[in-house]
Amino acid sequence: MAEIALRNIGKIFPPDVVAVEGVDLTIGDGEFVVLLGPSGCGKSTTLRMIAGLETASAGDIAIDGQRVNDVDPADRDLAIVFQNYALYPHMTVAQNLAFGLKLRKVPAAEIARRIDLTARMLGIEPLLKRKPRELSGGQQQRVALGRALVRQPKAFLLDEPLSNLDAKLRAAMRTELIKLHQQLGATIVHVTHDQVEAMTMGQRICIMKDGRVVQVGPPMEVYRNPVDTFVAGFLASPPMNLLDARLVGAGDPLAVELGGVRLPLAANRPGYAAYRDRAVVFGVRPEDIYEDAGPGGRATIDVKVVAVEALGPEVVLVAALPDGREIAARLGRGFSAAVGGQQRLYVDLATMHLFDTATRKAIG
Amino acid sequence: MTVAAGALARRDRRFGLLMTAPGLAALMLVVLFPLGFTLFTSFYDFTLVHPNHDTYVGFDNFREAWDENYLTDALWVTTKFVVASVVIEFVIGFSIALALNRVNRFKNVYYVILLAPLLMNPVVVGQMWRMLLHSELGIINYLISSVGLKPVNWLGDEHIAFWTVVLVDIWHQVSFMAILLMAGLAALPREPYEAARMDGASAIRTFVHITLPLMRPVIAVALLLRMIFAIKTFDIIFIMTKGGPGTATDLISYFIYRSAFFGLDIGRASAMSVALLVLVIALTVYLYRYMKSLA
Repeated sequence: MAEIALRNIGKIFPPDVVAVEGVDLTIGDGEFVVLLGPSGCGKSTTLRMIAGLETASAGDIAIDGQRVNDVDPADRDLAIVFQNYALYPHMTVAQNLAFGLKLRKVPAAEIARRIDLTARMLGIEPLLKRKPRELSGGQQQRVALGRALVRQPKAFLLDEPLSNLDAKLRAAMRTELIKLHQQLGATIVHVTHDQVEAMTMGQRICIMKDGRVVQVGPPMEVYRNPVDTFVAGFLASPPMNLLDARLVGAGDPLAVELGGVRLPLAANRPGYAAYRDRAVVFGVRPEDIYEDAGPGGRATIDVKVVAVEALGPEVVLVAALPDGREIAARLGRGFSAAVGGQQRLYVDLATMHLFDTATRKAIG
Repeated sequence: MTVAAGALARRDRRFGLLMTAPGLAALMLVVLFPLGFTLFTSFYDFTLVHPNHDTYVGFDNFREAWDENYLTDALWVTTKFVVASVVIEFVIGFSIALALNRVNRFKNVYYVILLAPLLMNPVVVGQMWRMLLHSELGIINYLISSVGLKPVNWLGDEHIAFWTVVLVDIWHQVSFMAILLMAGLAALPREPYEAARMDGASAIRTFVHITLPLMRPVIAVALLLRMIFAIKTFDIIFIMTKGGPGTATDLISYFIYRSAFFGLDIGRASAMSVALLVLVIALTVYLYRYMKSLA
């Protein structure tokens, strides 16, 4: 197993497309880190630079303290699992698993032992004699994973490996990957644009945007304390409600004025004073809005019901503030309301966030 | 509802037939009629001296053609020609395709250069090369002589003429193979190559284990298509050698032409044409089935 360190790495595709810029990240030995971000944010390019499939235009990549920028991908001893599996189409599953080992001149008996072990671990023993085209997407995915496992590399690089699977299979594979990580204690770098994958799988998530790292941390930490509106709006679904507001009031606590509604804050944070009587971005997660007053301390807002989306376990209410701006609320499955009718909602302001309107960074 | 839908479908079908009728009629006239006429004639003693269908001879034309030594010769020359030109075109074409697949700059320029011969009419190609290769007045012999080598009788020597024709065919057709294979290479997925790179496979192993198996369908189609075209080669022979010297370049299509218009035996030439058509159709059916099996 290995520690992977990225020091200020960048990638420029000719002529001048900056794909990755100034990425600093250390993935600890045995750690499961998820690179998360929208399409084109540079997460896959970063992974490919770790793998050696792309050369870094700037910075250093080190594996176990050794700089590997100029080391051939084959000699980095990493294994990658691709989004579309990339199995060798004319080889059977067993041959696919054996190919890398044969090239590394692993003795035949050892190859057979490892294939047997891997096949049992992934439940693909009955498939060993089949060709990739005879397998379903999920099975191909397992074989691709097996091809990485059988090599016993220093670390695993997973490039959106679950994206091509249907929702049910994806959920199952997610759990399996988590189990596999616990079982092997392997260093894993997982690239995804799916925030559910990131939240559930990673010990830490690294959120990227426009080629740069925006925030790194344990999933719940990033969820609770997003550093800016991008992270706030990217994690969780539906995302955090972000509304232009004003910070008003004289004393402690201040209040947020939001489209004609005044919401007194639960407590002031040190950064708030500088924003008094100034515009801010007010953020509150849909799950922090309730249909009842609860134990107390929740601010009330009266809204007009725009849409009621019953998802089964919960109901997502889309509602309009008095000034017409819309917010989303995740309510209990028993909630119902008539579209167009008035509804009183209760906001837990202890969990709200304020952001600077210009820099979009969190205040506090 | 069903009635209305049926009427609508009938109207659509009628309109479709109406639109395709002129095209179909033209095709019938220029393709189906000559084909039917040839097939019909192949069972009659039809010569240009007695151009009528009075004497039905059954399969005699086929039998006599088969018994003729010249046909066996022509078949042997054709086989040699097809194998030599298709194999060499494949090797050169694949090499060009692999090389150009790595090129990113000026790709369009290479495409234009590569396509130029293919865009030329075979008659023009034949004439051009006949002039270039003329034993006394051709520029190629002039260049050879200017470096002190003996001029070559490109089209007059029976051992050399065959390879000259093969080389001209290669010059003309190799880009077809290259373009087809290049399109195949460009469509290959990138990931298996990257997986092989991570596995530590060398360039040769990658070619053997990834490129060749992935390209198999394209290779098969390219080879079969070129084979079908090569079997039918006529123009270059007609312009450059007229099957000679002797019968050194007497390909089957030219041999049939000679039987018809020099031997005047249309019946026998028709029989051989039909047999050749059956061979080409068999290859085409195989190609079609193969392509269908891929889909």
